[in-house]
Formats: sequence, structure tokens, C-alpha cells
Amino acid sequence: MANAMTAPTARLEQKTAARTEDAVKVYGKGQTEVRALDGVSVGFAAGRYTAVMGPSGSGKSTLLHCVAGLDTLTSGRVFIGDVDLSTLNDQRLTILRRDHVGFVFQAYNLVPTISAAKNITLPLLLAGRRGDRAWISKVIEITGIGDRLAHRPSELSGGQQQRVAVARALASRPEIIFADEPTGNLDSRAGAEVLGFMRRAVDEMGQTIVMVTHDPIAASYADRIVFLADGRIVDEMHQPTAERVLERMRRFGE
Amino acid sequence: MFKIIIQSLLARKRRLVTTALAVIIGVAFTAGTLMLTDSMGKTFNDLSAGAYKGTDAVVRATKVFNDPAGDQRSLVDASLVPALSQVPGVAHAQGTVQGFAQLIGKDGTPVGSGNAPTLGGNWGTVPGLNPFQLVAGHAPQAPNEVVIDKHSANLGHLAVGDTTTVLVNGPPQRVRIAGIAVFGTSDNLAGASFVLFTTPAAQRLLAAPGKFSQISFAAALGVSQQQLVANLQRVLPRGTEAVTGATIIQETKNTFQQILKAFSTFLLIFAVIALVVGGFIIMNTFAITVAQRTQENGLLRALGASRRQVLGSVLVEAVAVGAIAAVLGLAAGFAVATGLKALLGVLGFALPGGSLVLTGGTVLVSLLLGLGVTVVAAISPARKAAKVPPVAAMQQATAGSTGYGSKQRVVVGLALLAVGLAVLFYGLFGHPAKAFQTVGAGILLVFFAVTVLGRTIALPLSRAIGAPLPRVKGVTGTLARENTMRNPKRTAASASALMIGVGLVAFITVLASSTTASTNATTDRTFTGDFVITGAGMGGGPVDSALPAKLAALPQVAAATGESVGAAVIFGQVEQFAAVDPGPAGQIFNVSPVQGSISALGQDSIAVSADTAAKHHLTLGAPVPILFRDTGPQTLRVALIYGDPQAAPGSNSGSKPGYFLGTPAFNANFAPPHSYVQVFVKKASGVSSAAALAAVKQLTARDAPGATVQDQAGYKAEQAKQVNQLLYFIYALLALAIVIALLGIGNTLALSIFERTRELGVMRAVGMTRRQLRSTIRWESVIVALQGTILGLVVGVFVGWALVLAEKNNGLSVFSVPYRTLVIVVILAGLAGVAAAILPSRRAARLNVLRAIVTE
Repeated sequence: MANAMTAPTARLEQKTAARTEDAVKVYGKGQTEVRALDGVSVGFAAGRYTAVMGPSGSGKSTLLHCVAGLDTLTSGRVFIGDVDLSTLNDQRLTILRRDHVGFVFQAYNLVPTISAAKNITLPLLLAGRRGDRAWISKVIEITGIGDRLAHRPSELSGGQQQRVAVARALASRPEIIFADEPTGNLDSRAGAEVLGFMRRAVDEMGQTIVMVTHDPIAASYADRIVFLADGRIVDEMHQPTAERVLERMRRFGE
Repeated sequence: MFKIIIQSLLARKRRLVTTALAVIIGVAFTAGTLMLTDSMGKTFNDLSAGAYKGTDAVVRATKVFNDPAGDQRSLVDASLVPALSQVPGVAHAQGTVQGFAQLIGKDGTPVGSGNAPTLGGNWGTVPGLNPFQLVAGHAPQAPNEVVIDKHSANLGHLAVGDTTTVLVNGPPQRVRIAGIAVFGTSDNLAGASFVLFTTPAAQRLLAAPGKFSQISFAAALGVSQQQLVANLQRVLPRGTEAVTGATIIQETKNTFQQILKAFSTFLLIFAVIALVVGGFIIMNTFAITVAQRTQENGLLRALGASRRQVLGSVLVEAVAVGAIAAVLGLAAGFAVATGLKALLGVLGFALPGGSLVLTGGTVLVSLLLGLGVTVVAAISPARKAAKVPPVAAMQQATAGSTGYGSKQRVVVGLALLAVGLAVLFYGLFGHPAKAFQTVGAGILLVFFAVTVLGRTIALPLSRAIGAPLPRVKGVTGTLARENTMRNPKRTAASASALMIGVGLVAFITVLASSTTASTNATTDRTFTGDFVITGAGMGGGPVDSALPAKLAALPQVAAATGESVGAAVIFGQVEQFAAVDPGPAGQIFNVSPVQGSISALGQDSIAVSADTAAKHHLTLGAPVPILFRDTGPQTLRVALIYGDPQAAPGSNSGSKPGYFLGTPAFNANFAPPHSYVQVFVKKASGVSSAAALAAVKQLTARDAPGATVQDQAGYKAEQAKQVNQLLYFIYALLALAIVIALLGIGNTLALSIFERTRELGVMRAVGMTRRQLRSTIRWESVIVALQGTILGLVVGVFVGWALVLAEKNNGLSVFSVPYRTLVIVVILAGLAGVAAAILPSRRAARLNVLRAIVTE
């Protein structure tokens, strides 16, 4: 893939934007106990685009939620930058998400009552800050939604909505962006566009993205893929291509 | 199908509780009112029956005419008692006297609240014809001995042997408590007080010497009431009549029932308002839940449920909610009735003990109302549910319509508004037969029209009310404002419920304020002299007729006159006639004489206003026929034609200012005792007001204890106080409707939040703190509350204005908007909005972010 080829491949001293240490997440008790995460230790390098893949039930979404501070671990630790999330109460965790984390969800991820422009700057508005105007202009330019800013989400196509969502995730210049199946509800063309913007955000703006997906093509935009199965990390792939990913995924079925 | 409905009901227990609460309150108030009035009716019936238990016949003067206070009858001669005792079939006869008597308690203040009747009478000596039973002391034997009822004895801390004062028509009497009595088994007659004298003392003080109010008879063994009455009628003199004991009990009952009916109607109006508001809440709740279940209903349709079955499912849910609410409401009615009873006790209408009466009628009415309101409110949502196509099961649920109201709706709304206004104005100005009902229907239609137009008005109104929010509260303000605008229909329905309550508050407030302002304006013009003295007792008791002369003798006083008021028939109408002393009155009342003078008002004279004179073609000296209660038809001659009826006697005591009499004519035609309802005092020139007031007060306190002396400012304050007392009482009743409306706002909010779970999750995920989330919901609630309040204020003030305009010539001359009160209402509404949002916003803030955003 062209994008993958041109991505910066080697940074000598790579900072870790987020990491887990022996993350365990257990749902339910006794007979119905499910170990969604079973001792996951993984780091996400700053300035890189990481995809998390695995068959359904592998714990990939749980991992994302826990690293993003949306869910809490049963045991183990999660760090965003140097901050241990388990030490934060809801208020501090919320502010951390607001100021240091960006999110792109599968769908319905905009607030329907406010304009695209307001949606993009929502985290900044919630923080009562104006943000970096030049940066935001660049974000808008890259995502190509400059002419749709005054519209409400319901007046935008699915692809446009997801581009606004990506712009929102970028607007506050977070340390890390989490994307949960960002192309799940889009047709292939719109999906490719959104993935392209995310790639550019990493390449041109130095952003860090962690993306959960089950789509090999989406995953092929990443610099690195982490494979999960049964709550454990089972494999890793650098500079993936769609074919290689597909091939690896097939092996899960065996 | 039925199983599905029950399951879906149980799954929504919490929502059901809030929904049902709206109905429960309305039903509870209805049931409570009915229970209370039934209990009061039973109590009064028992009392009436007890009062005439041994009475088989009553002889009394025939009715001369009716006035609003009741039948006007004269007195009968005491000599009839021995004469009629000889009539065959009579076992015993007892003359009875009834009149005004206000007991003064041990602390020197009048006993009782001033709201219940204070009665005087004679202690019956004929066994079987005296409803009272002594519980302490003995019957009165000397003229200064009295028996009082136990309730009054307790209130006034009086015991047998104590000496105290009784106010009657005439000078205050020093009396000794000879005995304390109970009435049947009850120690209290709905708060009324009794002072019972010896018969001669009672005649002298309460009626006239040698006269009785009526004569009671007990029949001899084996003689029926009808037989006794027939025997009596054969020998009765002209102007008297005999009726059976049963008739007199029925008459007494009827009088009570009439008062009770007015009372219960008054309370039921508020119960109906509460139910209407509750209906709005239910309609809104069902509309929202039906919208949220679009997919589910689509699935049911896809699986083969017919439209009728879906419609039925919603209606069965409504029936279940309605039935549960009605039963709970009925139960809560006991608490309401008990509370109302206690409230009446505080106001001085203490009811004798006894359990509450629950009739089958009350049960039926309460259940039908609760069920009916709920089901009717659910019809439109149910129809909407039935229209859901099967394909909706496969579609993404669009939560709630965002209708702004179709064109037809606007047209219908405007048409309704026009009709409502037309009916309202016809009722106000067209003088229809049922003016009150017509005006009520008009007001209802106007409210209804505003409700129909609500969703069209809601959007711009929300935008306007929320306009300052984005600047003040930043993005949370923006979101709050936008949330109220996203579904104008829902916002409007939520606000409409509050609009009704607030509208009525505004209406009543404007009415009260205008009444006070009008009274003040009238007082400015009609307050005569410098001070007014009013007697103690219910509605102002009588003032001793000797008081004016004593006051006039004070060096600080220039002139004083008493004013009597009595009913008589003139030109075919029963009117209240005021009468003043022609001597001093000339100095106190400046009636702008056209012809004649006040001092010319003798025993057979009448004063008429210039308007009256013109209307009836009366000139000075012209004869005016009048029918008096005590002296029958008389002819008076016009001795004064005056130009300013506002300044005439009686203009501030409710009598028609078109006529008045001199005291000589009044005393000649009204049976004694003669006393005054008010005394007007003019201070001597060169004396300070304060000094004169102090002197007048001192004398009054000595010679007419309990009477109040007021200058113009005090008089105004007293009038305003009376209006405000009623106003606060009505506020308390309307609070019911407002509480229900707030429950509705909270309920709608909770349902909307449930619908927005994902969206809230996204906002929490991208960094909205719990505090910010609560603030957003709080402000949304405040906007909805303010919207209802503002609409209510507009409609309420408008209707108030229309009513004041219509009653311009009936005493409501000034339209006054109490801005301060209305601003307080708006502030309170905002705070109430905050309160309504407490639970929904807390729940929203506790929302699990992850669960909210994860799609299934």
C-alpha cells in the first residue's frame, strides 16, 4: 500500500503514547465468568498508527476501551503518557479524555443538535478553551470538510460525518486517538477516504492512532498490527498489506 | 398479546410510577374533596336533626322576601306561646330566640376565628325541646347568667363561675358563666359559638321584649306532626305559619347543603385542573414511549399483530396505569380529606370528630375519572402506535418526530383561538344566561388553542428564552438550548402542562391585584370622615348604637354617626339599605346634594341618587313604595337627591349606593335590636390625627371591646388582607397543578435522556464532565419551565385583563398587574425547572459511558 510504504518507519527513540501492564478484564462471576483480557501488556508508540485485530470475542474492543479510559481493568495497569489511569477518579479521567485523548466511534458519534464546526471543537468548548486556531484550520483542511462546517450532522453523509468525527478527535491535539471500527458503517469509498485522512494525520501532523478493526483493508493503513485472541496478544505485524492481514486472519479460523 | 403487554409494563415500572403519579394526585384531590364534603354533609345533617330532635312543629312569621342571606322573617309575639299551648295535640311549647352574641374570652379577645357564626339564644326550659345538655353548672336563672357551649368554653378558657363580657346588639353585657353545655353528643357545632341567656334576657338583648324568633312544639302522644301543624294552622294569626319538625330539619339541611355544594364545587374546580394537567403528562409520556417503541411495534406488526392489536396494547397499558393510579388516588384521598379538614379547623371551621364518609359514588367517580383521563390521554399515542408499518422493525429507529406543527394544525389552532376568544368575550360582555360557565369555556378553549399552537410556538420561544445561555454557560448552554429545540412537540407538551397552572396563577393574581387596586381607588373616593369603627365577630359584628354619641362627646371628635344596613324590597328588587344619623351625617358624608339635604331624612324619608331619580322619574317629595321585613309595605318620600353615589353611606359596605335612609326611618321599619355595622368618625379641626385616633381607640376599647378602629390606610390594608387571604388559599390549591406539571417536565426529561443515551455517552467520552452534563440537563429543564411559565403569564394576564374590563362597572375599575409577584413567579418557575431536573440529571450523570456508546 502506497501510504504504508511512505510512512516513517524508524524513529530511534520512540516514546510510548499509551501502554498496558498485565491488563486483565473479567466480566461476570463463577460459571459465567469471561476473561475478556487475560494479561495483556502492550505499548502504543507515539507518532505511529497501530491497528488492533482479532476475531470477535478476542477482547480487542475491551482493550481499546480500557486503554482509552472508558472502562476499568480488573487488574493490571494502563498508562496514557505517564499517567496511571487507575489513580484517577471520574472527574480527572473525564478531563484527561477531554484534553489528551481523541475518539472516533463506529457511528452516531456526533452530537446531532450542534453544527459540524461546534462538533469538531466540542472537547475544546467543554474545556472552555479556544484551542490552536491554526492547527484546527489545518485539521479542517486535511479532512476536507471546510464547506460543510455550518451544517448539522443530519445534513451530512455518513462519510462526511465520520470525517467530522476524525476532525474532532484531532482538534484538541491529543496525545493519542482511539478509533473503534471507524469504517464499520461506511461504504468502501467513504471508508477509504476516512482511513486516508487518519493516515495523513499520523504522517503530516505527527498524531498517534490506535484503531480496532476487523477489516484487513482498514488495518493495512496502519504501521503495525497487534493481533488478539482469547484476551491475549498472539501476534504482531509491521508494515502490513491487506493480503498479509487477510492471510493471518484466516489462520484464526483454523 | 396480553402477556406481552404485561411484560412490557413490568419492564417499565419506574416510568409507570411517575406517569401514574400525575393521575394519582388529581384523583386523590377529587376523592378527598368528595369525602370531606360527604362527611361535612353527614355532620351537618346529624346536627340539624339533633337541633330539632324533639320538635314536632314550629310556628314562625311568614317569609316576607328572600335575600342572599336567606329568608327574611319578622318576629312572633310571645303571647302566642300560652295561647297555642291550648291547641289540641300540643304537649309542650317553647319560644326560642336567636340572634348575634359574641363571647369575649378570659384574655379579653373575642372567642373564635371570626369565620364561624357567633350565636346567642335562650336556654330552653321545656324538656325535649332543648337540644343542649348541661355538662357543668346549672341553667341561667338571673338576667346576667349564661350557658355557653363547651367548644367556646375551651377556646376562651372560661369555666363555670367566671365573669366575662358578651357583645350583643346594644351595649356589651357583663355576664357570669352559669353552665357549660354540649349539643347532643358533640361539643362543637362546626366552630359556631353559643351564648344562652334566660328567656327574658335573650328577648331583650337578641330580639325584642315580648317577642320570639319562633316557637317550637312537641306533640302529645299519638299525634302526628302533620296533625299538630294542621291543628295549629287553624288558630294561627295572620302573618304566621306552622311547619312540621321534619320540614324545618329539611330546610336546615338544605341551607347547609347549598353552602357545602358551593364549597365542594370550588374545590373540585382545582381537582379538575389537576386532572387536565395530569392528562397532558400522560399523553406526553405515552407519546414518547410509543415513539421509542417504534421498532418494537414494527416487529409486532411484522410478526402478524394487527393494527387493532397494537392499538389495543397501548390502550391496555393505559387502562392498567389508570386503574392502578385511580385506586392509589382513592386511597390518598383519605389523606387529602384529613388535611383539608385540618386546614378548615385552622380557619375556624372546626368539624366535630367522626370518621370520613366514603360513599359508593365517591369510589365510582374517582375510579372512572382516573381511568377515563388516562385512557383518553393515551388514545392519540395509541393511534400513532397502530400506524407504525411492519417495515419499521427493519429500520433504524428515529427517536421521536421533530414536528413543528403542520399548516393544518396552525390553522386549527388559530381557529380555536378565535373561537375561544369569541366565547370568552361573549361571556364577559354579551351578558349570557350562564356567564360564569361561558367565560370558563372560553378560557379553556384559549388554553387549548395555545396548546395546539404550542409546538409551532415552541421552537422560536425556546430559541428566544435560551438565547443568553450560550454566552453565559458556553457549550453546555448551547446544548441545553438545542435540546429543547430538537423536538418542539415534546417541549410544547411539557410546557403546556405548566402553562395551565401558571396561567391560572397569573389570572388569579391579576384579579386579586386589580380588586385591591379598585377597592383602594374606591376607598380614596368613598372613605368618609377620618376613622371607621367595625364590630367584632363574623364579617364585622354589630356596634352598640350608643357609641356614636359617646364618641361625639370627645373633644377630639367633631361628629360621629353609625350606619345600619338592612334588606328591603324596592322597585321589585331586594336591596341592602344603609341608614345614617341625619344630624352628624351631614358633616361626614359629602354626597353633593342636588336637592334637599341629609338633615331632612326623617322617619318617612328616603335619599335617592340623581341617577336613580332619573331612572324612576323621582322628584323631591315623590312617594317611593318599599316592602320592609318587619313593617310590611310602606311609602317613603324623597327628601334628598344626591349627585355622588360613591360618597354616599353604604358605598363601602356592599349596599347599592343608589339609595339610603336616615336612622329614624330605619329604626321605624326594622325590628330591634338596633345597632350599627359601622361607625364613621370625623375628628375635630386642630386636633392631630394621631391624637384623635388614640382617643377614639381608647373609648372604643372600653365601650365596644373587640371592635376595630381604622384610619384610611388601615382600612385599605384590611381590605387587601382579606383579598390576599383568599389569594393564598387559591395559590395553595393551584400548587397542586403546578407540582403535577413539574413532575411531567421531569418525566419527559427522563424519557428524552433515555433516548439520547448514545449521544450522552459520546459527549462524556470526548470530555464532558458529570457536572457539565447535569448543568446541560438542568438548563434544558429551566428553558422548558420558563416557556410554560411565559405562555401561562401571557394567557393568564390577558384573561385577567378581559375580566377586569368586563367588570369595569361592577367594582373592578382598575386593571393592575402585580409585576413584582409575576417576576417572582418567573424566578420560582426557573428554580422549579432546576428541581424537576434533579433526578433525571443525576441519572444521566451516573450513566455508564461505555455501555452508552457500544452498539449492540
